[in-house]
Amino acid sequence: MTHNRRFIKNVVSGLIASFVLLISNKVSAQDGKALFSANCASCHSVTKKLTGPALAGVETRGPWGDRKKIHDWVHNPAGFMKTDAYTEGLHKEYGIVMTAFPTLNEKEIDAILDYVKAEEAAATAAPAAGAPGAAQAEETGDSSLLFGIITLILAIVAFTLLQVNANLRKMADDKEGVPAHEPVPFWRNKAYIAFITIILFLIGGYFTTKGAIGLGRTKDYQPEQPIFFAHKIHAGVNQINCLYCHGPAHDGKQATIPSINICMNCHQAINEYTGKEKIYNGEGEEVNGTAEIQKLYKYAGFEPGKPWDPSKAKPIEWVRIHNLPDHVYFNHSQHVTAGQVQCQTCHGEINKMDEVHQFADLSMGWCINCHRTTEVKFKDNGFYSLYEKYHDQLKNGKLDSTKGITVEKIGGTECQKCHY
Amino acid sequence: MKKLAIISFVAAGIALVSCSDVKRKPGAIYMPDMAYSRAYETYAQRDSSVFTTDPNDAENRIFYNNLPVAGTVARGEELPFPLAKDAAGDTTNYVASRQIANPEAALTPTELKETERLYLVNCGICHGAKLDGNGPLYKDGKGPYPAKPRNLVDDAVAVNMPDGQMFYVMTYGKNLMGSYASQLTRKQRWQIAHYIKGKQAEKHGGATTTAAAPAASPAATATAPAKDSTEKAK
Repeated sequence: MTHNRRFIKNVVSGLIASFVLLISNKVSAQDGKALFSANCASCHSVTKKLTGPALAGVETRGPWGDRKKIHDWVHNPAGFMKTDAYTEGLHKEYGIVMTAFPTLNEKEIDAILDYVKAEEAAATAAPAAGAPGAAQAEETGDSSLLFGIITLILAIVAFTLLQVNANLRKMADDKEGVPAHEPVPFWRNKAYIAFITIILFLIGGYFTTKGAIGLGRTKDYQPEQPIFFAHKIHAGVNQINCLYCHGPAHDGKQATIPSINICMNCHQAINEYTGKEKIYNGEGEEVNGTAEIQKLYKYAGFEPGKPWDPSKAKPIEWVRIHNLPDHVYFNHSQHVTAGQVQCQTCHGEINKMDEVHQFADLSMGWCINCHRTTEVKFKDNGFYSLYEKYHDQLKNGKLDSTKGITVEKIGGTECQKCHY
Repeated sequence: MKKLAIISFVAAGIALVSCSDVKRKPGAIYMPDMAYSRAYETYAQRDSSVFTTDPNDAENRIFYNNLPVAGTVARGEELPFPLAKDAAGDTTNYVASRQIANPEAALTPTELKETERLYLVNCGICHGAKLDGNGPLYKDGKGPYPAKPRNLVDDAVAVNMPDGQMFYVMTYGKNLMGSYASQLTRKQRWQIAHYIKGKQAEKHGGATTTAAAPAASPAATATAPAKDSTEKAK
């Protein structure tokens, strides 16, 4: 009995001990995460080389097998470096010495290292799970070819059946002795000819008119760009403001195409695409985001892990999509800043487009229609301080500032506004 | 006759089917003289037999590289920053920039609104709308950006960073942050430094506002050495 009791006691105490150990482990790993993101994450990542080295496998490198040395280093990097050649080499490689963290105690540093180890294990386990999901692109492919072939086959079958029907009727008539008059072939049948002529005239007229109207208009133009830049990912998923890259739309005539240094503000660190959203080009093929970032690096003359020298960058020759004829003046800031028009009003839902196409036809009718219906936002709008008359009327209550004053009423459909 | 009809029918079918619905070509233009500018437009490719971007070749061709003449100051713009960018691994000018005072007056309510807009467009994407270093690109480590952006209101480094050093960072970049000199004018950058300092004072109550006031006065006295270095830079 006593034997049993001791055994149970042992088991219970063992269980409690392991439970406590488990909890304390968990707590330290969580602390490690918080400490890591508060102190280290600005310069270090677990898997990527950033301002400082990647921390995965840190304890297998240099003098770091000994945790005491890591503690000394974190508390006083400059002092430690004098006694150690390995860290001296790191200084040369990165051109920067780590900031000292004398306030982190040894337990906290150990917690950070444990967190790094746990993350490292998770990172090596993750790629195995990420493999499936490639077969989906096939199904969403273009099925118009199939439909075309089916239509063609059906048309031939219908034509053949009509011929067979005519032949059979003729044979039946012959058998019954009905004197069949010589059939008029369809290309000499006057009703047929008139019918086909009218149809051709209508179709021809429709296409001629449509083509003439469409001359110089490039609605739905979707050129292939040198780099597949997905606005869906940048402006949509990652919520980057349009003006981050196209800032001058707020202050000037042109919306401008961002220069490479603006891309590299983020892409010095973001060197792969790991988002869940898939990117497709106009033909429905899936695009590899990471490969497109590599194209950017080629233009920028950037090698990941090395400091970037912007003077080596070559401009990217983006293909212009929205283009107004030379005889039309258009100013972005007038619309974006004074008019407070959203980018999407004219450019469509860019933040959902994988590959950008021209949304509006940019015809004069389209401009004028918008000017006729858009109401001017007078309220808190410095631009319209010139319109004293309207202001007075607004004060007298003769005009309601919230409705009724369209762009047309303040001269928005005058010829000289755009053509001069 | 029947054969011809079938052949033309098949050909038309193939032509219809092979048309993609993606418009890769812009299409024809009506009166190109009126559509394409005779003058050089933004981003238009220049004729390399007439123009050159190499100043050494200015004798033979027209030299034009889109940049204003060195030292140009736009009307209403702040004077250039007196310190150059540090060489890699050097921090002399980064440290020296602490002494340079903010030449911009405190923000008026309209300026504050505009500066906040600029902050949200250019900085907020990483440093967060609340300046907590947790913008949509980082999202507690779930976003695509691998490094944690600096928490601008709680981090001691940011709280103790004077306006001049902030301006240095915005102008030349620091660690993983790039230069914002191409996106923000000097005036806007100084105003954003004001904005961040204001937000820090807001968060930490009166303590930093009172601390900021005496900090401003030594900085103001430090304009004299800063002017010296302007001359040095020249």
